[in-house]
Amino acid sequence: MTRSRVAAGAAVIVTSLLLQATLIGPLTMPAAVSLPAVVVAAVALVDGPATGMSFGFSMGLIADLGSSHPAGILALTWLGLGVLCGKAVDRRSVLGDAVTAGLLCAAASVVAEILLAIVHTSGANVGHALLYAVAAALGDFILALAVVPVARLLLHSERLQAPHPVITELRFKASHV
Amino acid sequence: MRRLTKRQRIAATVLCVLALSFLVLDLAGTGLRSAHGGVRGTLGALYRGTDAAVGPVREFFAGVPTAGSNRAKLENLRHENAVLRGQLAAAHADATTSSELTRLQLAATSGGHRILPARVIALGPGEGFDWTVTVDVGTKDGVVVGQTVTDGAGLVGRVLHADPATAVVLLAADPGSGVGVRDLRTGQVGVATGEGLHGFEFAPIDSTAVIKVGDQLSTGPVGSTSYVAGLPVGVVSAVRVSADGSTRATVRPVVSPTSLDLLGVIDTASTTNSTSRAALQPAPGGAPR
Repeated sequence: MTRSRVAAGAAVIVTSLLLQATLIGPLTMPAAVSLPAVVVAAVALVDGPATGMSFGFSMGLIADLGSSHPAGILALTWLGLGVLCGKAVDRRSVLGDAVTAGLLCAAASVVAEILLAIVHTSGANVGHALLYAVAAALGDFILALAVVPVARLLLHSERLQAPHPVITELRFKASHV
Repeated sequence: MRRLTKRQRIAATVLCVLALSFLVLDLAGTGLRSAHGGVRGTLGALYRGTDAAVGPVREFFAGVPTAGSNRAKLENLRHENAVLRGQLAAAHADATTSSELTRLQLAATSGGHRILPARVIALGPGEGFDWTVTVDVGTKDGVVVGQTVTDGAGLVGRVLHADPATAVVLLAADPGSGVGVRDLRTGQVGVATGEGLHGFEFAPIDSTAVIKVGDQLSTGPVGSTSYVAGLPVGVVSAVRVSADGSTRATVRPVVSPTSLDLLGVIDTASTTNSTSRAALQPAPGGAPR
């Protein structure tokens, strides 16, 4: 992990949380379309589960602390999202990655709603989340169509590449042989 | 599906435990309250700055789905507004008509006349005179030539010509027409000659009679005029004495000849009041206008 990756990750976390709160959230109400979740999914789909889980955990924890619900809910959910997306890497098409991201992000929003309902957070409504799950998946998919190419471009750049991409790549290929 | 390495599984487990620890810590007590406050405060300040920048973008996109329906809604509201304006104008006209009918009814009751309501349907020159109006009642309704016409407040004119369905009324203000009138203060009689928009010019038969500004004139006396006696005609607004000593007065009319709408044709055949007392008293709006 390099300083550049940490700085870029922090910038992406803050930017996506700000855009979610001021632009995406208000525009996509009542569907729970989530730019931070899509970003986590896109990073995981490009860089694998290790980056995905740490990035998802960090993004989720900051989102948790910035909101009124108990900390750990989104950290746990987006950690799982990062792991699942990292495991679902195919690196073939943007469309395939966007579909994966859309479906898993919508599922993550339902899971988060269930967790919030379990801890009795006011405002949690699982029925509402299920009702708008399809719309959320569609919104997440559309966001992913834009975010995935950007994530691919940035994470494959020289300064933001994983420290040992060759080894990662070899391991990936070896597991598919 | 790619499988996690051992290190990745351990890392995932550690992060899960960490997230659950945060959750338990937050649920159990107030340990994370300051952390919540700090992050919320920082993000809140950033939200304000970001909102100022992306707010217009958000409002633009928020308006896109309803752009078409807003246009339709605007058209509907415009149409509704036009209909309501029409209804308002009609209501105003109805109120005016109601007021005029009340005035005519009151005039009929006080004067002992049967008054036939008539609405002005045309204005303009006719029958060789300049100042006439056409009303929507005629001989079928009992209108005959020579009947006096009032608006409930004062003298309007007399029926000049009657058709089965309409009648032409010569306005008393017509230049060239004369009305026999009496000064209610002095009892002096004379002739009020129409002056169009300027009202009347009153010339008393006794040229030395003292006429004062403010004197009220009404039709009369009985039998000496072709009009029903006692109808207010106007109020003296100016008096002048000629070199030969004769007196002339300018009279401001009670009835404005240019704002006639609902009138009443007085059926003299059914009149029960044969005295020369004021035919219309008290008549709301009887003051000069």
